[in-house]
Amino acid sequence: MVGLLLGGCGINNIPSYEEAAKAKWSDVQNQYQRRADLIPNLVETVKGFAAQERNVLEAVTAARARATSITVSADMITDPEAMKKFQDAQAQLSSALGRLLAVSERYPDLKSNQNFLTLQSQIEGSENRIAVARRDYIEAVRAYNTELRTFPGVIWASTLYKSNKPMATFTTAEDVSRPPTVKF
Amino acid sequence: MRRFLFIIALFAAGASAVAQTLNFPQQTGRVTDDAGILDASTRAALVQTLAALEARNTSQLFVATVKSLQGDSIEDYANRLFRQWGIGQKGTNNGVLLLVAPNERKVRIEVGYGLEGTLTDAQTKVIIENAIIPRFRAGDFPGGITRGVDNLVALMSNEAGAPPARPSFTLPNLTHDQMAFVWVGGFMFFWCLGVFFAMRNNMHHPHRYKPARHYSGSSSSSNWSSSSSDSSSSWSSSGSSSSSDSSFGGGGDSGGGGSSGSW
Repeated sequence: MVGLLLGGCGINNIPSYEEAAKAKWSDVQNQYQRRADLIPNLVETVKGFAAQERNVLEAVTAARARATSITVSADMITDPEAMKKFQDAQAQLSSALGRLLAVSERYPDLKSNQNFLTLQSQIEGSENRIAVARRDYIEAVRAYNTELRTFPGVIWASTLYKSNKPMATFTTAEDVSRPPTVKF
Repeated sequence: MRRFLFIIALFAAGASAVAQTLNFPQQTGRVTDDAGILDASTRAALVQTLAALEARNTSQLFVATVKSLQGDSIEDYANRLFRQWGIGQKGTNNGVLLLVAPNERKVRIEVGYGLEGTLTDAQTKVIIENAIIPRFRAGDFPGGITRGVDNLVALMSNEAGAPPARPSFTLPNLTHDQMAFVWVGGFMFFWCLGVFFAMRNNMHHPHRYKPARHYSGSSSSSNWSSSSSDSSSSWSSSGSSSSSDSSFGGGGDSGGGGSSGSW
């Protein structure tokens, strides 16, 4: 009965939601990292068949270097500025990657290469995992931010958890990172 | 009192906004043929294969066909449906969903966290492209699904006993320190409650200070707990896996592994 009352007053909600959102954020980071890890291999494979597409290949490599240099730790997710930088870098990588895959369509030998097909389906799967991780993160942040601003969480936010700030979430549309379609 | 009602109304509005916008077909076991593309004998054979797989190593493969993706992408729909049904065992997340949307001409194999190593994206892609799509192109849905399931089962059967568990998020169990914190917090809560009402009372009726009336009102405290339990239930139903209304899912979770194709 007492436990119910105490649970009911929601004193643990803010830290619980905060930890949940942070965990979801690290998922998001992991999935972006996983994609970044696949790229050098992909670039090498494409180079073997389409070395003349130097511009596209260099753009992907540069975008990857930029994207991997910008990380947002779980303590920084309340900073919209840092989040925006991270998002922009990843969106640039997405579009560079999209161009590379589009260009690959012009090379039949490359398209039928087993290694390329494997990498392509891995990239596609990676994009989809990113989409899921982003969705989960957005949902977790929504729960956390709502708890900070609504009753009864707002009481705890203004007393016990004064330093807790609302978290930033994704502002760019998810379409940017829509998985590229793969044809076999 | 009116303020409490208003607050409860706010919570109710929040909870309904969270509710799924997609309508999922009613699950009818391991094979849910909402689109009506499977004949009875194929269905029975599939169910038998899938039940045998689960008996072997607890991993679950479910088949679903849907009339419509309701404007959603098949990737997103499959992931939400997977979580709605909670395919795979809780903790090991060893579930797989084969989703077919014949009207959109799309198919997807969604792989739970625990089987991502057994069924890689590339392997599922090969199954879709080689076993399923050629038959779907010829209009042979039962054949394509059966062949796809056979290939998946062959790979999933290699999986011995318990696959590596991926910890899913659960509310932490309270340690002694946290319990102490809760007790102190609870004390502070009631203290704050007292101050809150006292201040409110002072503001509204400076010359009529009757705290007893507010403390005795049991309706206000029950409103508090019911409103916050509303919010927590809406959280859990929108969270990682809600398997309350699924009769067969073990509460598994998926993070978007697998691949999709169209024909």
